Order: sequence, then C-alpha cells, then structure tokens
Amino acid sequence: MIDVTDASARRIVVGYTANDAGADALALATRFARAGEALLDVVMVLPSEAHNSTVPTDTGYERYIKEQSREWLAEASESLDDDDDIDVAQLLHIRYAESFAEGLIAAAHEFGAALIVVGAARGGLLGRSRIGSVANELLHSSDVPVALAPVGSRDVPVAQGVTRVTAAIGTRAGADALLEASVRFAIATHAPLRLVSLVAIDLPAGIDEGLVALTSTVHADEVLLAARRELPDYLDATSTSATGASVEEAVRGLDWHDGEVVLVGSSRLAAPRHLFLGSTAAKMLRELPVPMIVVPRTTSH
Amino acid sequence: MTHHPEPQAPLTKATVAVDGSEHGISKKGLSAGSVGLIGAIVIGISCIAPAYTLTAALGPTVSEVGVQVPAIILVGFIPMLLVAFGYRELNKRMPDSGTSFTWATRAFGPWIGWLAGWGLVAATILVLSNLAGIAVDFLFLLISQIAGNPEIADLATNPFINVAVCLLFVLGATWVSYRDMQTTQKLQYWLVGFQVVVLVLFAVAALVEVANGNAFDATAIELSWFNPFAVESFSSFAAGLSLSIFIFWGWDVTLTMNEETKGSEKTPGRAATITVVTIVVLYLLIAVALIAYAGVGTGEFGLGNPEIQDNVFFHLAGPILGPLAVLVSLAVLTSSASSLQSTFVSPARTLLAMGHYGALPDKFAKVSPRFFTPGYATIVSAVVASAFYAVMRFLSEDVLWDTITALGMMICFYYGITAFACVWFFRRIWWRSVRNFFFTLLFPLVGGVILGVLFFTTLIDSMNPDYGSGSNILGVGLVFVLGMVVLLSGVAIMLWQAWRRPAFFRGETLSRAAADD
Repeated sequence: MIDVTDASARRIVVGYTANDAGADALALATRFARAGEALLDVVMVLPSEAHNSTVPTDTGYERYIKEQSREWLAEASESLDDDDDIDVAQLLHIRYAESFAEGLIAAAHEFGAALIVVGAARGGLLGRSRIGSVANELLHSSDVPVALAPVGSRDVPVAQGVTRVTAAIGTRAGADALLEASVRFAIATHAPLRLVSLVAIDLPAGIDEGLVALTSTVHADEVLLAARRELPDYLDATSTSATGASVEEAVRGLDWHDGEVVLVGSSRLAAPRHLFLGSTAAKMLRELPVPMIVVPRTTSH
Repeated sequence: MTHHPEPQAPLTKATVAVDGSEHGISKKGLSAGSVGLIGAIVIGISCIAPAYTLTAALGPTVSEVGVQVPAIILVGFIPMLLVAFGYRELNKRMPDSGTSFTWATRAFGPWIGWLAGWGLVAATILVLSNLAGIAVDFLFLLISQIAGNPEIADLATNPFINVAVCLLFVLGATWVSYRDMQTTQKLQYWLVGFQVVVLVLFAVAALVEVANGNAFDATAIELSWFNPFAVESFSSFAAGLSLSIFIFWGWDVTLTMNEETKGSEKTPGRAATITVVTIVVLYLLIAVALIAYAGVGTGEFGLGNPEIQDNVFFHLAGPILGPLAVLVSLAVLTSSASSLQSTFVSPARTLLAMGHYGALPDKFAKVSPRFFTPGYATIVSAVVASAFYAVMRFLSEDVLWDTITALGMMICFYYGITAFACVWFFRRIWWRSVRNFFFTLLFPLVGGVILGVLFFTTLIDSMNPDYGSGSNILGVGLVFVLGMVVLLSGVAIMLWQAWRRPAFFRGETLSRAAADD
C-alpha cells in the first residue's frame, strides 16, 4: 500500500522565459500550485559565461541581461498578483547555468521541488504538443518529474484546477514510481485518480487479431487490478484500459477532462532515476490534449 | 519527495525575492561564472583572428610601407595599447554594453556619444562584410584544393556567386549569434591552436624555400625592416599605421575581461600580455617570411602585386606549401568563422545600448527571451553588413582591400573619441595618484592624439584617386568616399533620430558626468 503523508507542502519549479512557452509553463504551474497549495519557485536561467569560448565576456551586457530578466520576472509575478482569485505563493529566482535544463534541475534540487514545469516550446499541429529542445534536454537528464505545458496553457483559467489525474500505467517494470507519484499528485490536488492501461495492437495481417486483443486486454486488466490494490482506500480511483491499432489511436479513444493531467513513466532505457521519454510516451504526447508529467523510473528521495 | 515546512520567504513580492539576499539570488546567482587564463587567451586570439587579419591586411600594408611592415606592426601596437589602457579604466568605472557610445556620451554629451557609437557600429559592420568576403574566397579555394580543380577557386571572382555565398555565410553567422550557439571550449582551444600552428608552419616553410633557393623573389632579411623611420613618407607611415591598428583590433577585450577572469588579480593582465606577445611574434614571423619569399615587387607572387594584395595567403599558400596549402585555407576559414561570431556581438551590443538609452528606436533594446542575445540589433547588423558587401562587390574589384583601409580609418575615429572620453571623464582625478596620471591622462591622451592624427591624415590622403587599391568614384579615392559616406550618413541618421527622439539628445536618458573619486 502506498503511504502518503508528506504530500501537503511542496514546491514547484517553473522554468520561465518571457515568451509564450514561459507563459504556458507559468500558467500551468500556477494551476497545479493552486490546486495543491504548493509554493511556486519561478526560475529564469541565464547562460553562464564560464563555458564561454568565443565571445568576450562583458560585465555591462551581463548586467543589462540581469536587469531585463528581473523586469520580466516582476512583470510575470505582477500578472499573477493582479488576479485576486489566484492565491499562490511564489518566489522569483535568477540562476546561471550552462543550459536551461541544467539550471532548472539544479534549482529543483536546491529547493527540494517535486516538479519542474516547462513550456512545450513549440506548437505542434492543432494545439497538440511537440517537444522543443529545452523540454527534450530536460526529459533526458532530469531526476525530478517534469511537466510539459502544452501550447495554449496560458489561456486555461487557473481556477480550472486539476479535475482528474490519469496515470498511464504500462505493463512492465517501472510503474511503481509512476503509481506512487500519481497517487501523491492526486491527493495533493484533491483530484480523482484514473489508471489507464494502453493496449496497442499493431500486428501484421493473418494473425488472429481478436485473440491477441483479448490476451492483451486481459493482461492489461490484471496490471490495473494489481495497481489498484496498491492504492490507499480513501482515494477516489477508477481504472480503464484503452485499446487501439496504435498508441495514438488508443489515446484518442479515451475521454479527457479539460482540467486533466496525465502522468507517464520514463523509458526503461533511461539511466536509473533519470528521465527519458519512451516511444510510447512520445506518441502519447503528440496526441494528448492535456498536460503531461513525465516521472523518472525511480523517484529520488 | 521531501517535506518542506512553511517557506519563510516574503511571498508574492516579486522584487523583494529577486533582490533579497536570502531567498532571491543565491551565491550562484551573483556571478555569471568566469573564464580562466587560458580561456581568456584563447578568446583573445580568436577575436583577433590572426590568420584572417594577416591575409587581409598584409597586402595593403606592403603597398603602403614596402619592406618596413615589421616596423609598422611593432609601432602600430603602441597607440592600441595606450587606448586600451583608457578603455580599461572606463570599463572598470562604467561597465556598459554600449562601451564607446555610453562613455563618450557621459564625457562629451549625446552628440559626440552618438557618433562614437556610430563609428563603432560602422567599423564592425565593415569588418563583418570583409570577414565574410575572405571566408568566401577561402571556401572556394578549399573546395578546389580538395577536388584538385583550380577552376573552382576562380568561381569566387564571379560577383553573383560571390555575393550569394557571402550572404549565406552572414546568414549562418547571424543564426549562430542570435541563438548564442557556442563551440565547446575544447573545440575552440583546438581551433585556435590549429590556427597558430598552421601559421608557424606557413612561415617556416616560406623561410625553408628561401634557404633552398626556391623562393619566388628571395629578398635578404635586413634590420632596416624593423626601422619605422625608414618608411618613405609620413603619409605612407600613417596609412600603414592605421592598417596595423586594424590588425590588433580585438586585443583589448582580453584586457577588459577583468572581473570575470578567475584566479588572482594579475590574470587579466597576464592573459592580455601572453595574447599580444603571441600575436606580435606570429605577425613578425609571417611578415618577415613572406617578404623574404615573395619580395615586395609587382611580379606574379610579389607582395606588391595589386592582383594578390587583398588576400595574400590565398595566392601564396599554394606555391609555398604545395599540397599542404589546404591547411592554410582551413585555418583562415575557421579563423574567420569564429571571429565572425565574436565580431557580431559588438555592434549588436552597442546598438542595444543605443536603443536602451533612446538614441535609437526601442526595438534595438530588445533581448531575445529565449537566448538572451540582442536579437533585433543582431539581425539589423547582419542585414546592413550584407547589403554593404553586395553593393561594394559590384562597385569595386578590390572591395576587400578598400574596406580594410576604410575600416582602419573608422577604428581610429571611434577609438580616438573613446580615448579622449577617458581623459575628459577622469579630469577631476588626474592628479590624485601617479597611477591616475598615467592611466587616465597621459596614456589615453597620447593614444588619442596618435589616432586622431592618423584619422585626419588618412582622410585627406585618401581623396587622391590613386590611394589604396586605386579605385575611385569621379576622381575621388574610393576609401575617402567610403569613409565620408559612412560618417555623413551617421550624421544624417543622428539628426533624424534627434528629431524623432529628442529626450536622449537633451541628455535626459544618459547625462554627462565626470569621475569624482
């Protein structure tokens, strides 16, 4: 049984940039923080000059960039403060690092944050997410769960909150950490939990599709059942398995709430405790109309 | 997941958190990191880009002073050093991305400040187009060397192909600068190391050919090559000197990377010294070797031959190194490529400061939220540099040569103003200490006067249609026309901006000041 006692106070790191992707990230993180009474750490990461190899450093320019970043942060913060409905505690930070991802991970460690939120950086077709270079780097190296704010998150009202948490449970090892994280997240945000098992049946012709589908579904149901046994009794949880000719189709077959969040586990190929988006998760991301959180295979303690 | 008790920070108060010491910017946030001694030297050498600089400047310098190039190289360093001292003082007191523009505005007010900024931007845009032009030549040379087909190298002389490829180069460099894509330090060390080794190899090979009696026009090395007084006329001397200002241009960055350089306080000085000694030794070695090999006559490979003067390595690498000439092409290409990026930074940052203080439209002050680079200013610089190159390429056969000469003039202009700005800004504290006397009065004053004399001498002499490459427009030397067009268009744009944005010109955004302590 998963025991959740410390999920009440947490911190969320937002990787902020003064553009649409940053606004998406900030809006989504604010929604999470409001739903889960968490503290927001809004972080801007500036390029460190230490790795600099070609361009002469210039104190004046560094100062200018820092001032500008302060201004951006203050503006972002004010826009949150202006809205009386949003009662979210926030701290603003400027950090220097060799890369945006590296700076965010270091900040998350420093604050003991449970989650890093970044914008998906570029819009895919029809508002669906495509992973930008920042998110990509983060997904390859973070040992802290990473939430990808889809394009347009900035237009979702913060009051929407989190209406449901969906955990995309795979059928193999690696699901434990995901399950635990999903439970924590659902409890923290007071949202019901839905366990989903995706069954993709993509087979060459000639094989008895009905039989394969049946076996797969049975297997999925067993996994879901096992997972449900792990859940705390007081949690409102449902489970379902989604079937389709492909992962994409299976995802499309599910119903989604506007305020829903999906959690997926990182790839089995990832180094232990580091994220790496597996092919299934990557396919899901392309289809999902809702934000996705990628959880490392084994969460850090 | 760790449990966190109630955070004790001032919540939602944005500025408090950012400015506060405890919960705002931590130690990590205070420093942007630093560059070590070797890093500083590598950046310095890569900014100067000796391979590119020499191939572009050696020919024009020989045409002015003949065999006395080594002497001019040595003398040319003096005003550069003197002005760099003043530059360092100003940078210490008023670090600002606008450098010359901001400092001159502080010392002399908005009008002179604006023109100093213009001079800097114009000079860097001139050099951008020249860098890209040299890179195009060497790209085609490299391809022809690898393919073993000399005709490919001649493609670079077709203005349409040339301009098209050059625009691609500038586009690439803009992309890299806009996104602040940096090569790794290790790669940069290798590139700079490669550049230095190839230049030494080139020089030694030339000397060996001389010793073996295979030289094109063997010229006995004499001590008089190092004697600046052996130069025929003051005009030639001044012209040569303003060219040699160009070859050291960029060196000052190592001297001003002061606060950032880690280690003891001596590091920046040491980095600057090692950089400049390396550069001077390289320059002297190559100048002596190539003059000894090719002479200063006007024969096929003679350094006095106008046909080869705007890009001497391009023509001499083959005869001297044979199959290894491909190394020289690679060295010049990589040298121009990495210099393109660092060169892009300086007009962009100055334009950004001008936009910030209201001397230019706001848009120039825009910083890319994703890459933290002066995005708009970078793109404007690239567009202007490309347009300038395209026009010049069709206007003059010897475009590279003439831009280098005009460039030397522009550098003298804005460096001179900067030097005087230093002297004037510190006027109240000249006599406070011996150090102040030398670094804020004597050195920059002498440096500024030398640059001023060079500027006016070059300006007057360049009216002669035979000046420089000999290109002229309606009987007036192209270099003069270039210089005047650049300066007068600066004045015109300044007047227009003064009408549109009077606040800056009334001194409301950046006021005059002087150091008091």
